[in-house]
Parts: sequence; structure tokens; C-alpha cells
Amino acid sequence: MTVASDGGVPSGPAAGSSSGLVKRFGRALPALPGLAVLLFLFLVPMAIMFVFSFWRTNNDFVVVPEWNLGNYARFFVEGTYLRTFIKTLIMAGLVTVAALAIGLPFAYFLVRYTGKLTQRVILLAVIVPFWTSYLVRVYAWQAILGEHGALNQILQAIGVIKVPLDIFNYDDPGVFVVLTYIYFPFALLALYASLEKFDFTQLNAAQDLGARPDQAFRHILLPQIRAGIITACIFVFIPILGEFLTPTLVGGAQSSLIANLVLNFLRNDQFAEGAALAIIIAAFVTAIMIVFRKSFRVEDVVTSG
Amino acid sequence: MADLNRHLGRREFLRLAGAVGATAGLGAFLAACGASGATATPPAASSAPVASGAAPSAAATPGPTGTFNWLTWGDHWYQAEMDKIAADIGIKANITSFSDDIDAYTKVQQVGGQIDLVSEDALWVPYFYQHQLIDAFDINSLKVASQLYSVAREFSIWTSPAGYLGYPNGWAPIQITYDPAHVTPGADSWQLLLDPKYKKRVVVEDQPVEVMAYMGKAAGVKDPYNMTDAEVAQAKALLVQLKPNILRLAPQATDTVAALKNGEAWIATINLGADTAVMDQGGPKLTTFTPKEGSIGWMDAEMLVHGGANNNLLMPFLEVHEQAEYVAANFMINRRPLFSEAAYKLLINQGQQELADHLLFNKPETVNTMTLKGPGTSTQAAIAAFNDVFGS
Repeated sequence: MTVASDGGVPSGPAAGSSSGLVKRFGRALPALPGLAVLLFLFLVPMAIMFVFSFWRTNNDFVVVPEWNLGNYARFFVEGTYLRTFIKTLIMAGLVTVAALAIGLPFAYFLVRYTGKLTQRVILLAVIVPFWTSYLVRVYAWQAILGEHGALNQILQAIGVIKVPLDIFNYDDPGVFVVLTYIYFPFALLALYASLEKFDFTQLNAAQDLGARPDQAFRHILLPQIRAGIITACIFVFIPILGEFLTPTLVGGAQSSLIANLVLNFLRNDQFAEGAALAIIIAAFVTAIMIVFRKSFRVEDVVTSG
Repeated sequence: MADLNRHLGRREFLRLAGAVGATAGLGAFLAACGASGATATPPAASSAPVASGAAPSAAATPGPTGTFNWLTWGDHWYQAEMDKIAADIGIKANITSFSDDIDAYTKVQQVGGQIDLVSEDALWVPYFYQHQLIDAFDINSLKVASQLYSVAREFSIWTSPAGYLGYPNGWAPIQITYDPAHVTPGADSWQLLLDPKYKKRVVVEDQPVEVMAYMGKAAGVKDPYNMTDAEVAQAKALLVQLKPNILRLAPQATDTVAALKNGEAWIATINLGADTAVMDQGGPKLTTFTPKEGSIGWMDAEMLVHGGANNNLLMPFLEVHEQAEYVAANFMINRRPLFSEAAYKLLINQGQQELADHLLFNKPETVNTMTLKGPGTSTQAAIAAFNDVFGS
């Protein structure tokens, strides 16, 4: 608020005056809890991890400040970490593609061809599994994918196979299926939110002007739901880089992802060594975000509302 | 490792839940009648693990009451017991579970005397003492200690000039169990795990340091928690052979039991007693053996945390908690040998000698043949080797 001085020149409260500080503090007050969470539960731990990653753990399980790059060198020198990380990226990529491939047509169908009530019911059905713990849902897949699980029993019962399928039994395909199941709802909800705002008459207009359906899809629909697609990719791809529970529960000896290897260090109090691997993953995620931002104009995700 | 088989099977869970319910109902009834629960009922049958009538001497002597903090595994106590102890002597435990020895070590190091009593395995016990995290005590000052096998009061690794370092609880070696319907009988060596005939039929626990330790034993390493680089390489070479045979790395014992029960796995490394859990749950009859090359194992103890804020409650609590009735009931729930000779005799009286002998309850000296679990100098190298094998 500005006030007129005696000379008629408007003037605000002097910068640094006590009333100005109080006002600014008052405006910032609601943000303080969030800032505190960000600072103390994210930035400070990350900073500690970052420092630890350059130290080492001694035989008494104590992290000692002996600066070295050995923990980082391990990732690049011992091939298993790089290979497992690449495998993790491939798994995350495949699951993201699968979630989009399933989610986009489904969301399109929901928004375009069903009424609001049906949409709400179906979306509720998509969300309902979240009411059950992640752990329970993944454990349930053991009973489906196992050698004597529901999938093999059904396939045997209808005569499709004679001996149980082995490919889903504690192996990578099983991990892929379960991760797709777990993360598909995130992709669907992001895509649905984006498609819901799309004006479908634009597709008709494009076709009236001579565009084929696939051209209308590529040139009219996709650009306008880009923000939803990017959000879906971020929601699916990035969490999978830190997935360890699903590979532990439905994966076998061949199915470790990079987080499983990190965890093996952390749960045995080898914090410095685990921290370095975790920092590498975090750095990679940051790099991905930068690439996303530059190549796909991620700010649209925010600004398009 | 010790945590792996410390999970209740469904049957035991139901049995325990029934016992808890029965105890709660009985307690409510006695309270309503104004009667003391301490000596109102005779010792319970083994099928209902509620140690009634335990510790009459402790109950008769007024002592301190209150709540202490106990960091322990889930198989060191059961709810019916804790409820009864609280009712009898007014001591309650605020119990926190942990996953493994190193987890408890980290927690006690961080919070110190906020914990009063902590359970740990074998060589972790003197390790705690060396780091001044626990206090030694005169074990013979506890009357209940006379119920222990004498060998359990004399373990050199748990003896210090200041006294004994922990109250002995239970023990078990890591063994191999197999389904003779699918596996050629007569195996007596770790080599069974490596036989290419059993591709994707073996379950081992998801515990890098322990798996590397018993691969070390298989390779003839004497001290598998303190391996040299060459010994780590030997153990790793065997792990490479083992990998194709592994169906899964089981996060906990219940997963191993389930895989054996439903026939997905034919061979598994287990804590002593897990085979009976498989059979109890309707699984196949298994054959179990301790490998001839030797095995690793654990024996655990309750330790008094240095500076514990409620340590005045610990001796009165142990005096009751370690009574044979409670220990025997605990055995029936968790199926691994404990160090109480009086509990073994009680089990015989209850008609459970066959089970107790099968689980070596009468042979506590067996612990002297095991390589005991403990902190080692090759932990990091073991994890690195494990990761190298199980990574891509």
C-alpha cells in the first residue's frame, strides 16, 4: 500500500523498515513449513550424503573423513554398476513406454466416449489399489506369476500351455509386468488431466480440412497434451530408477536393479559407498530433468496449468 | 541372519493369536473377580503358549514397576507373555524391532541410553561391550540363570572381568534343507547348492554378508567374516556357480518357507527349524543337514545398554521373562533351540521331546562347532563381490 507524502509524491514503506519486514514475513509465513521440509528433509540430507560420498567407511562401520574418489570410481571401474544402471534405464524406459501405450488410448477413450459419472467410477477403480499398501500389492503378484501361480494355472486349465511358463517366475519379465502395473495409474492420471482440457472438435476440424486421422492425432492432439505426456514420463521413469522392492519380491537372481546394489551397501552400514552410488543416480536424474526442460519445454507443464 | 526365521507361520500366528485372546479374556475375568493372575492357573499346554504361573518368587517380592525400552527381534517375546508379566510385576516393555545386528548397533550408537535392553548375536555382543554400549553384569545374581545350561553361562566370548555381557537366549546354525522327492538324497556338503541340475530351484536369503560367509565356508575359509582378498575371490567364484541355481533371494524366512512349501524351490539355506515350519504348513517332508565343511550360525543374548534410563527394571524383568514356562512356550512358537535347560525338561514333560531334540534343544554345545556371526573386516569386500555377481 502506498501513501501520499506531504509533497504529493507517493512513497512506500522504506525498504528495511520494521513494518515492511513484518509484512514480508507475514507473506512468507505460510511457506515456512514447506521451506523447512525442503531444507531439513531434503537439502541438508542431500548435502550430508554428498560429503559422505567422498569419505570412507572403516571396519567399525564409522564414516571417517578421509577424502577420496574411490566410491565414485567403483561405479565406473567395476563394470557391474554401470551395466546394472543401464539395465535399470532400459527397464524404466520400457515401463514408461508401456504405461504410455496403455494409458493414452485408455485416457482418450475415457475422456472422449464416456460420461462424467462413468469417468469418475473408472478413475476411482484406478485409484482404489492405492488404498492397499505397495508391499501387499507386489506380494500379491507372487501368487499370480509364480510357477504354480494363478497365471500358469489358468493357462494350463484352458490348454494354452502344458508345463508352467518360466519367464514370469522370478525374472525380468515379471519385474516389468509388476512395475507397469504399479506405475500405470500415475501415467493414466497425468494423461487424463491433460486430455480432459482438450477440445476434441479440433480433431474434426482438422479432418474436415483434409487431415488423415493419424495426422490429426500427431499434429493437433499430441502437441496439446505434451505437458501431460511429459508429466507421465517423469512420474513413471524417475521413480523406477530408485526401485528396489519390486525386483526384490518378484525378481530373481538376475533381476537386480541399481537401487538393489545401493541398498546392499546401505543396510550394512557402508554409508559412504552407498551415498556415492545414490549421488550418481541423483545426478543422472537431474541431468534428465535438464534435458527434458531444454528439449521438451517442461515449463509448459507448469505454465499450461 | 538371525532375523530370517523370526517370523511366525500362519498356523503359529493363529495359535498365538488364540493364546493372546484367551489370555486377555482370562485376565479380564480374573481382574473382574479381583484375583491375581500370577498363580491362578497351571502351566499352559504347549499348544497354547501362555506361561501361566511363571515367576512366583518375582511376583511375590514387590519391586520397581514401569516401562523400559527394548530393541529386539520379534521372536524374543510374545504378546501373551508380555501382558502377563505386566499384570504380575508391573513391568512393561516398549518394544522396537530391528532387522539385523548392524541395524541395532547403529541405533544404540545413535540413541544410547534411550534404549534399556538390546538383543544381539554372538560376536556382536563383545563388540558392543568394546564400544562401551553395554554393561557387564553378574549373571549368577539372577536366580533364573540357574535354569540355563551351564555351557551358556560360560561362553568365553561373552565373559569379561567385569562380568557376563548378556543373558543367553537362543541359537541356530545355518543349514541346508531339500525336498528328497526332487533332490538326490545323501547330500552333506555346500556343493549341493552348486549342482547345475538344480537350476532356479535354490532359495537363499537376501543377506550379502551372510551368503558370502557361507560361500567362504564352502571354499574352506576359516574366518568368513574376516576374509582376505584371495578368500573373498574364492567365495565369489562359488557364488558365480550358485547364481544360475537361485530362484530368488528371499527377503525373509517366510518367503523361503513359502517357496519350499509350494514346491517352487527344492533346496534352501535355512535357520535350524524352518524345515518344520514348511511341514507344519502342509509342505513336503524335507531333509535337513549341516554341511560337512562347517556352517555359520548365531546365538543371541539380551544386553543391558550402558546408561539405560530404566535399567532398574531389567533384572526383575529378566528374572520373570527367562522362566522356563515362557521359554518353552516361546520355543513352541518360534521353533529354534534356546539355552534354558529347565525349558527343555518342561518340554519333555509336555510331550515335545521329539521336536525339541530334532531342533537340538538338548545340544547347546553345538554352538562351539559353528562359525559365529559377528562384525568383520571383510564386510565391504563381501558386499562388493555380492553386487558384482548379482548385478548385471
